[in-house]
Amino acid sequence: MKRALTLTAMALCLGTAATAETFRWATTTDPQTMDPHAVSSAPVLGFLNNVYEGLVRRGRDMSIEPALATDWEPIGAGDGWRFTLRQGVTFHDGSDFTAEDVLFSYQRASSEQSDVASWFSPVSEVIVVDEFTVDIMTTSPQPIFPDSIANWMMMDSGWAAANGAELPARDAENHATLNANGTAAFMLAERQPGLSTVLVPFDGWWGDVEHNITRAELTPIQNSATAVAALLSGDVDMIDPVPIQDAARLSETDGVKVVQGIEARVIMLGFAHDHEVLYGGADAGAPNPFADVRVRRAVAHAVNVDAILQTIMRGNAEPASQLVSPAMRGYSEIHAARPAVDPDAARALLAEAGYPDGFSFGLSCPNDRYLNDESVCQAVVGMLAQIGLEAQLDAMPVSNYWPELRADNFDMYLLGWSPGTFDAEHPIRFLVHTSGERLGTWNFGGYSNPRIDEMLPLIQSEIDDAARQAMLDEAAGIIQEDMVYLPMYVQPLIWGTRDNIDLTQRPDNFFILRWVAVN
Amino acid sequence: MTDTPITPPEKARARSRLYMAWDSDVGYSFRHSPVAMVSLFVTLLLVLAAVFSPLIAPHDPFNPATLNLMNGFTPPGEANAFTGESFLLGTDDQGRDVFSTILYGLRISLFVGFAAVLFAMVLGISLGLLAGYVGGWTETIIMRVADVQLTFPAILVAMLIFGVAKGITPIEYRDQVAIWVLIIAIGLSDWVQFARVVRGATLVEKSKEYVQAARLIGRTPLAIMVRHILPNVLSPVLVIATISLALAIIAEATLSFLGVGAPPTQPSLGTLIRIGQGFLFSGEWWILFFPACTLLALALAVNLLGDWLRDALNPRLR
Amino acid sequence: MLNYIIRRVLQSVLVLLVVGLVAFAMFRFVGDPVDNMLGQERTMEDVERLREQLGLDQSFVVQYYRFLEGAVQGEFGISYRQGRQVSEIIAERIPATLELAAVSGVFALVLGIGLGVFTAIRRDGFASNAIMTLSLIGVSLPTFLIGILLIYLFSVELGWLPSFGRGEVVQIGGWSTGFLTQSGLMALILPSITLGLYQMTLIMRLVRSEMLEVLRQDYIRFARARGLKQRAINFRHALKNTLVPVITVTGLQLGSIIAFAIITETVFQWPGVGLLFINAIQFVDIPVMAAYLMLISVMFVGINLAVDLLYVAIDPRLRTEGKS
Repeated sequence: MKRALTLTAMALCLGTAATAETFRWATTTDPQTMDPHAVSSAPVLGFLNNVYEGLVRRGRDMSIEPALATDWEPIGAGDGWRFTLRQGVTFHDGSDFTAEDVLFSYQRASSEQSDVASWFSPVSEVIVVDEFTVDIMTTSPQPIFPDSIANWMMMDSGWAAANGAELPARDAENHATLNANGTAAFMLAERQPGLSTVLVPFDGWWGDVEHNITRAELTPIQNSATAVAALLSGDVDMIDPVPIQDAARLSETDGVKVVQGIEARVIMLGFAHDHEVLYGGADAGAPNPFADVRVRRAVAHAVNVDAILQTIMRGNAEPASQLVSPAMRGYSEIHAARPAVDPDAARALLAEAGYPDGFSFGLSCPNDRYLNDESVCQAVVGMLAQIGLEAQLDAMPVSNYWPELRADNFDMYLLGWSPGTFDAEHPIRFLVHTSGERLGTWNFGGYSNPRIDEMLPLIQSEIDDAARQAMLDEAAGIIQEDMVYLPMYVQPLIWGTRDNIDLTQRPDNFFILRWVAVN
Repeated sequence: MTDTPITPPEKARARSRLYMAWDSDVGYSFRHSPVAMVSLFVTLLLVLAAVFSPLIAPHDPFNPATLNLMNGFTPPGEANAFTGESFLLGTDDQGRDVFSTILYGLRISLFVGFAAVLFAMVLGISLGLLAGYVGGWTETIIMRVADVQLTFPAILVAMLIFGVAKGITPIEYRDQVAIWVLIIAIGLSDWVQFARVVRGATLVEKSKEYVQAARLIGRTPLAIMVRHILPNVLSPVLVIATISLALAIIAEATLSFLGVGAPPTQPSLGTLIRIGQGFLFSGEWWILFFPACTLLALALAVNLLGDWLRDALNPRLR
Repeated sequence: MLNYIIRRVLQSVLVLLVVGLVAFAMFRFVGDPVDNMLGQERTMEDVERLREQLGLDQSFVVQYYRFLEGAVQGEFGISYRQGRQVSEIIAERIPATLELAAVSGVFALVLGIGLGVFTAIRRDGFASNAIMTLSLIGVSLPTFLIGILLIYLFSVELGWLPSFGRGEVVQIGGWSTGFLTQSGLMALILPSITLGLYQMTLIMRLVRSEMLEVLRQDYIRFARARGLKQRAINFRHALKNTLVPVITVTGLQLGSIIAFAIITETVFQWPGVGLLFINAIQFVDIPVMAAYLMLISVMFVGINLAVDLLYVAIDPRLRTEGKS
């Protein structure tokens, strides 16, 4: 009996190994759930974009294009948006996609258990007009609403009800955690959390098929050296990310190539604005110098971003002048200049602020969050030492990092920010607005400026592009003038693939399988 | 000529003691083992290099103000393309001289190793003696605690202690915390084998006539343990200690791979290897190769020394 | 005797409880899970609500009590990261670790005993000195570096063996095995060597020194004098007598193989419980961390208990002492 089992098992396994022409790729983190509304993180949303679809989607250049909605238009003077749905779309299990599914997906995604509910905070109501028309009503004018829901994925109401997955499950398990039923080009064939996730093409997809994949398998590989080895030895066809230091060598190696781009994430230094006293370093307990804008500007003049980019980032990143990269909507062209590297000016500013001999403080930094984060902080320590500032580096895993920042245990810290809406309003809302329950939730330094707070709702509801840009320009100017943050660079995106793979890299680091061709 | 500080008879005795050691069985074995001699030489050389590293090292890698980031990734012996400076063993990603960081890192690794073994030894011997001699509930508790200790892998102990220590130490001391956490974690995971050996030997010695005689003439338990039983267990302890030293140095490296090692601003050999392994594929081999070789030489020499010591101290094997 | 066993088992249970309590007291220093569970657009209300839902606002004693309450019913809760039953996740992952540990153990035992005997018989030969020194090089470098160097050599440069993972696995009942496919077996080679190298060296040295000691004993000399073949003496008499301490050490080392699997699994992306645990630490996945710790503790304490009881069974002198 046991032997018979073994033999069948062997036959099965040989069978699968022989037929499929598989595209295999590896990422650092596994998408932790298959539920599109349970976790709002890039690995999950990026992966599920291959399985589920939203009303709109982003194209190769990040522009918004029709997906499950063919058309959309504002209702009245900013009362909401009307979406016309695509007809003839079916889910992977064969059921039809209709307006009821949109309403259900809204209820599911905006529920208390959802992690993406904030996308719907301006929404007052979703109205099913007919089978293929939906009105989404908002409490205030929302000019960029379609942009903000590109990752809002549609789930079949019938499938969810039949499997008891009407609500997203975060601290419990339900059918949607391990299974998926979307409308996109790929179907989930096999899911072993943390080990492998297998996708196969969906024959009934509405779009034009550009890829030639018959089977795609995702494996998480955490150790970056192992991932590079797996790519070099041909065990996988693509890895994301390639460690920065290996990019140059890999691109010279036969059989593999490196695909490079600029991510949406800006890496910056944050300051303690509202602390009374210093937290770390030898001068802990002394009055907080970072409350003085001259000290923050001195730091800006001391940090040589070009040197960091040249050595640690190996020429693979672009310097940043503001909280968003130039590729984002609402980027301020008139504030594109960075502070000059000028140690003498920095020392003069310090002297002016009353610190001619510098001081000692604590620099907090994650060591497993951003590319080469710890090395960058180390380099910053060295550069600040040149102007007499003695930074005590406290590098920690990200699981400790956010709690430490929230507990105000820092004087200066490293932060990366990727605007989910690809719009300059996003960082103002989370990083610059006065810290509160819903706004300024990542404003750890406690910066507060009434003019910014006053402008934010105006920016959010302004429909006229020129007027909106004028306000965003003003905000960018204030942030630079006050040196609220010191933006350093835009993090690069570096993927490695085998030579025979063609793909498209999007700045949000989403890997879209339907753009892959295996030659 | 003024009076010599050492009077002739003492000098003679000192010399004769040295001579006795040289002339003893162990000394004989040493003189006839080229491996032992080379190992001892390498160990001493590395220890001396570590102790005098501030004098030997051309740069101070722990002082960030002296670093120039543009010196980063200079290959060994070549001049840097931007600054024109050159370094014997090259530089790492921060522009630190690899030779200097190795010397300073060696110092930290050796300190952690010695301190951890000392900690484990003192703890293990005292608890082992106590358990073996006193017996009863004391023994039960100690040996069950030893079980708990074995249950928690060193890696885990270190990770947990690291978190707790960071939480409770004042910020000023955070820099040194990592080092002490390493010492305590490695020491804690190592004391059990000392305790077991000592307890076993104590159980055997306790029932021997001379210990019972000593008890009869009114010697205190402490005196009996220290004066009579301890000397009998010293040679296995010495062997374990030597091998533990090598293990502790390796364990420190392993822990730094898991992110609980010495901070990168004050790297140990293990941290240097952890950093260096990231450059294995990118062509900057020297950042990994030289620290790894140093660690290999140190651990190998100490291991060989421990090996030889075990054979030399075990009369039955001669 | 029965009395002793019962007392010993009770002590072991107490040990497990203490391990659990210490672990729970320390978990909150590892980090805050809530931050990793919510996206960047979360509000403070979301954070508070989730913390309350998970019971993280309670003291660690209460959290520990709740954990125990579930644990005695075989329930270890829901993983914060995967949102699935922890017992299910562990059951999925444990075959990978046990198979790796078993192969490493066999590798260490077979090669260790073989080389140990060889180096004992040819005590001062060049080959045995070379083996002794080479084996030390293997334990003089950290495990993770050995693993990475092996990958570099055998996967990247030579292309002989896979660089990561378990290869093709076959499901038999609830057990996934890599023993039945070629890729599964190939994938086992490098991680097993990495993991078993230290134990192999240890066993080899132990066998060598025990053999050397036994070979000097009178009965071996008599055997030799009686004209028995050297081969028969070496294997039938000498080796047999060295095996008792070897088995003891192997039993205790089994636990440390499983503990050290954490590093090997991380380097080779081997999908076992060790890798699961490392992921759990990064994510502050307390239910998974707690379950893993309990699992390891039960295993260690069990092995310890078995070894102790074996001693008592073998050595009558300890039996009386156990009673006193």
